[in-house]
Amino acid sequence: MPTGSMDQRLLVQALADGELDAASALALEQRMAGDAALAAEQARIVALKSAVARLPRPEVSDQFKARIAGLVPPPAAAPAIQASPRRLALHDWRGDWRALAASIAVTAVVASGSTYLATRTATAPDRLISELASSQQRSLLAASPVDVASSDRHTVKPWLDAKVGLSPPTVDLSKDGYSLVGGRIEVIGGRPLPALVYRLRKHLITVIAAPQGTGAALPAGAADLSADGFSLVRWSDGTFTYWAISNIGRAELDDFAAHFRAAAAAE
Amino acid sequence: MLSSKPPAERFGEVVLPHLADALALARWLTGNTSDAEDVLQEACLRAYAGIDTYAGGNARAWFLTIVRNVAYTWLAKNRPRALLASGDLADLDELAAGQTNTDDPDGPEAAMIAKADVAALEAAILHLQPPFREVVVLRDINGFGYRDIAAMLNLPLGTVMSRLSRARRLLMMQLGATDEGG
Repeated sequence: MPTGSMDQRLLVQALADGELDAASALALEQRMAGDAALAAEQARIVALKSAVARLPRPEVSDQFKARIAGLVPPPAAAPAIQASPRRLALHDWRGDWRALAASIAVTAVVASGSTYLATRTATAPDRLISELASSQQRSLLAASPVDVASSDRHTVKPWLDAKVGLSPPTVDLSKDGYSLVGGRIEVIGGRPLPALVYRLRKHLITVIAAPQGTGAALPAGAADLSADGFSLVRWSDGTFTYWAISNIGRAELDDFAAHFRAAAAAE
Repeated sequence: MLSSKPPAERFGEVVLPHLADALALARWLTGNTSDAEDVLQEACLRAYAGIDTYAGGNARAWFLTIVRNVAYTWLAKNRPRALLASGDLADLDELAAGQTNTDDPDGPEAAMIAKADVAALEAAILHLQPPFREVVVLRDINGFGYRDIAAMLNLPLGTVMSRLSRARRLLMMQLGATDEGG
């Protein structure tokens, strides 16, 4: 009975897995008593189950527990300001970030030079730029450039909204070649601000958004604030002022800004 | 509806108790602990972001379903070849359902299976195609019942049972062959 034998095997398996009710189990046990093949199958399944159950399990290391604990704010903390912007900083990211590591290391060195330049001439708007530069530098030095890693804008936007109560347009630019890496919180001028991180080839582009009216008056068009080594472009859309920072060239960053503005306007 | 508790607290109650179980699942799906940790971290972020979608019930099944889905996304991105082998699942299930008719009806002796060494068994499990591997892991490592597994994988109960049977059959044959070879 070929089909019957399959059914019987599933039944024997269900018995071994404790999935049979008492009446069916009893009936099957009685049948197995007179059927050596069925009894042997049952013994094999039981032997396999216990061998698999005995396999060593990976330990959840303390380091990993700390890494997970760092993903969420401590329960007691007030939801707002103590944004701990670099919670993931020490975590050992692999996988997706491996590919980024090389470019990050190079950028960090270049960016530190420009930070020095920016800091040296610290007038008010320059101080803002230097803060932006050093935040970008910190994010590049950190093992992960984002606090919430997701290519799904519907994940990133609510995350930012929950963290800082601000959610700039989180646009999908994948068709233009910029993939969303995630979001993070930046503290600029003492205020936590949402930051979006996109990737172009192996380069990261950070977009920091500040609600308008809270900073210096800005021209409506994109302004080039690039220092040597990295590019910084600023624009505003009437609601937010944006800074895009990256180690890609000015022209490419302008391109990105144009795509971002077009997509944000279409939202 | 939002729970009255803050998300971080719910995360602590719903997700954190199941990290070890989740790590075990992720390791079997990715093949090693360090990749499993990356998958688990991403799964924790998703679980945290979506903690409001947890509507009570089996928290372990809820979280491990996220882990499983993140693991497949991760595999698709980082090891597409590991998933390619899966082929058409309908064919696999047909194969699983029909296999007893063509396979050798007897497996190795239960005693031989019982004394299989850890490395051989681990290798045999990793050798299974993901749809078969996951049912064995969810059943015998994570200890879920058939109905939980069917719900987690969104499969009919019968498919879970036949995949599990097929997976175990393959493991038994592998262990029997290893033993004869060694």
